[in-house]
Amino acid sequence: MTSVGTDVDRVDGPEKTTGRARYSADRVLPDMAYAHVVLSTIGKGRIRAMNTDAAAGAPGVLRVYTPFQPLKLYPPPPGYGETYAVLQDRDIRFRGQVIGLVVARTFEQAREAAALVTTEYDAQQPSTSLAAGSPGVTAPDQGQGAPPAKFAVLAPGVTSIDQALAASEVTVQGTYTQGSQHHVAMEPHATVAVWQDGHLTAYCGAQMPQVHAVSLAAQLGVEADRVRVLSPYVGGAFGSRVATWPDIALASAAALDLDRPVKLVLAREQVFTMVGHRPAVSQTVRLGASADGVLNAVSHKSDVAMPMPTVGSWVMVPAQDTSGALYKTPNLAIDQRVVPLDMPPTWAMRGPNEAPGGFAIETAMDELAVSLRMDPLRLRLRNYATTAAGTGRPWSSKHLRECYETGAERFGWSSRPRSGTVDGQWLVGTGMATAIYPAARFPAAVRVRFRDDGTAVVASATADIGTGAVTLLSICGSDALGIPLSRVEPRLGDSALPPGAPAVGSAGAGSTAPVIRSAAQAAITALIDLAVTHPDSPFYGMTADQVRYHDGYLDAGAGRSMGFARLLKLTGTAGVEATANGGPGPEAGQYAFHSFGAHFCEVRGNRFTGEPRVSRFTTVVDIGTVVNAQATRSQIVGSVIFGIGHALLEVDPLEDSGRLAAGNLGDYLVPVNADIPDIDVHWLDIPDTVYSPFGARGVGELATVGSAAAIGNAIHDATGIRVRDLPITLDKLLG
Amino acid sequence: MASRSPSTPPHRDGLSRRGFIGRTGAVVAGTAAASAPLDTARAAPQSAPAQQGENLVAVALTVNGRSVRLMADPRWTLLDTLRERLSLTGTKKGCDRGQCGACTVHVEGRRVLSCLTLTASVDGEHVTTVEGLSDGEHLHPMQRAFIAHDGFQCGYCTSGQIMSAVALVGEGHADTDDDIKEYMSGNICRCGAYPFIRDAIKDAREEMR
Repeated sequence: MTSVGTDVDRVDGPEKTTGRARYSADRVLPDMAYAHVVLSTIGKGRIRAMNTDAAAGAPGVLRVYTPFQPLKLYPPPPGYGETYAVLQDRDIRFRGQVIGLVVARTFEQAREAAALVTTEYDAQQPSTSLAAGSPGVTAPDQGQGAPPAKFAVLAPGVTSIDQALAASEVTVQGTYTQGSQHHVAMEPHATVAVWQDGHLTAYCGAQMPQVHAVSLAAQLGVEADRVRVLSPYVGGAFGSRVATWPDIALASAAALDLDRPVKLVLAREQVFTMVGHRPAVSQTVRLGASADGVLNAVSHKSDVAMPMPTVGSWVMVPAQDTSGALYKTPNLAIDQRVVPLDMPPTWAMRGPNEAPGGFAIETAMDELAVSLRMDPLRLRLRNYATTAAGTGRPWSSKHLRECYETGAERFGWSSRPRSGTVDGQWLVGTGMATAIYPAARFPAAVRVRFRDDGTAVVASATADIGTGAVTLLSICGSDALGIPLSRVEPRLGDSALPPGAPAVGSAGAGSTAPVIRSAAQAAITALIDLAVTHPDSPFYGMTADQVRYHDGYLDAGAGRSMGFARLLKLTGTAGVEATANGGPGPEAGQYAFHSFGAHFCEVRGNRFTGEPRVSRFTTVVDIGTVVNAQATRSQIVGSVIFGIGHALLEVDPLEDSGRLAAGNLGDYLVPVNADIPDIDVHWLDIPDTVYSPFGARGVGELATVGSAAAIGNAIHDATGIRVRDLPITLDKLLG
Repeated sequence: MASRSPSTPPHRDGLSRRGFIGRTGAVVAGTAAASAPLDTARAAPQSAPAQQGENLVAVALTVNGRSVRLMADPRWTLLDTLRERLSLTGTKKGCDRGQCGACTVHVEGRRVLSCLTLTASVDGEHVTTVEGLSDGEHLHPMQRAFIAHDGFQCGYCTSGQIMSAVALVGEGHADTDDDIKEYMSGNICRCGAYPFIRDAIKDAREEMR
């Protein structure tokens, strides 16, 4: 009886609810010193001088590191984080850059001494305006078979997207903007670094522990096999723990220099500039259609703020997997540009391209529906795509139509209140939007080990950032081996394990699940091999095909059956194991791979204060096979809530000085309990066996995409006001 | 939008900011006169690492039913004392300035933000952390309900959510959905488990009564 697809409580639930789960900063080691970083307070320039006398002489201080007395560090490998190494020069690239590290005996002493460091700068005026820098330059090529940042697909005889738009009976155009946003994982970035005999153990949150280890080794200038990253519990990530930010290397280098363990926990305010964020973006979407709503042209341009090359970052391309794939259109033009600014580093944040891109195209589609006086759901069905517009490839599996239909039914779309319905002091409106997210598959290795106590270990160096990955290892291991969940020990979050799938791109589950099956099969083969070749085995001398494995037993028929624990004990074997590798195959170049969903929501806008409140939300998704119903439900609900923050709350303005102005949790608002209604979610559970034999595509980010648009569309329906600049705060509704 | 009621709700015995400041001053003044350092290694049940700091003051408190005596740097927050000196790391630091609720513990049965509470200000008081809720492997009804309803994902805010939730029931603020939403809004969950946290509270409140 498999538990795949059922509600399974998280196997780490008892640890997480009792406080026993140990996150990075929860290590308290003998003789451990505490570090605190010092950050730049100007947006651009150069350090002229630093006075560290007061800090160095403060009680408890062990060492003060600055560019004048640095720890030796090297930049991370290209693509693993920033392009420079902190403390190695006096250049100020952005406000909030590390310029010092103070290490003391206690946390309080380190923090106080850090505040005593004074710095003189030769300041320059930073460039911080996205609007002033737009239009930018074409975004760099994403490589690895990704579409170019700028491309057009035009019908025969059409010479430009402008011509196609001009020839359309109806056109709409909108420019959609949003400011900087932050991941705000609840666990501030933290490292505990311990060296022993030239080998480093770093406890730090990592979405991909092995990549962290490789990058950290490069930053420290040591061989990779001297570094082990342990990250068993990660207090949220959302993209902020993909790159290796400078704090991990700083703590590690200081621990080596001082020859004692060092703990470095970033203050919440420091997290806002040090670990990447989602940059501001301006997008213009133009749609051309016939009078009955058939799309003729889709144009999507974006200008994304990005840090200077001297800082480095991940580059947002918001159009290609949204407008580039969502609808059937004979004419499509994508133009994704970047505007380099003097700003802190950026990185992918949940639905990194697709959440901003989805807001733009799905709001524009609503504007088209309004302009056509057409049901926005009907408009989407009329332009339903069966091949991806950008590439022309068919999808591995696509059931978006059922998402629309099921969602509309559950929400009661056909009987929704008419636009501008008044209920007391509230204006009531409804909106809908489509969700889409690319379904990547990464190479992954998994090891399965039978042990002589009757348990099995399923191990892979992936990460559980709250997704439920550790529970997934148990569920899939139990399923593949036919033994209860309680007899499976899942292991992840350790760079020494077989190379696992990164917990990024919503692809951890999809990439890992099929390989667990392969690894289990390989381990069973090894177990049977032991059974027929070991002289102490009752199956000795048989051929392998005479022995069958099922539900933890080896069975040769005629009552000759034995549990694997007994076999291992009889043969004096502690364990039998096998490792399997898996990844995308030739199908990768033949199909388009996406997950899909449909959002329907009701929003109430206060007639007197403008306050918008989400009152109902239904989301239906098509994600392939579901491994754990409970964790899947939580992921979808969490994604929608992320979208509610995107729509109504989250922005961190970048000031002229280069300062991100809202860098704390009192000014950068994320949803709280009172902001969130009950959320109705449903999934289709149709396996995508082209994607993988297991059929699960993953779910972590999908429902973040389109949810902001659904809310904005409902606000327009309620109030008649179209807000194209996120977040939709009440001041924008007090026309 | 984004109602931000404090984790310590307006409540008849709640610690107001003014009361907090006055109390802290009084306790520090009172204990600074204590002379000989206390033998923390013998007195503290959790083997606290060597205490270091400046202008140390003697503090005696009860944590999870066990008496703890230590020489505290007046700057030590209750949060950092629990985590770094008593190895009670179940209580989490999310922001260190009272904006997120991850550090919520009970002092004399009331929920407080331990990051805004100086250790010296709770001299003589009873502190309960998430580690003190369960009885060995026998979990508190709220802990069981959080597991059963998936009231968490990454788990980092969970200690604070559970400590708030337990206090909420005692306060009489867990009777309606609107009350639960409002009085749990000082505890941020970025993973977005809010609806399931509400389900867990509604489930556990019946068993707690």
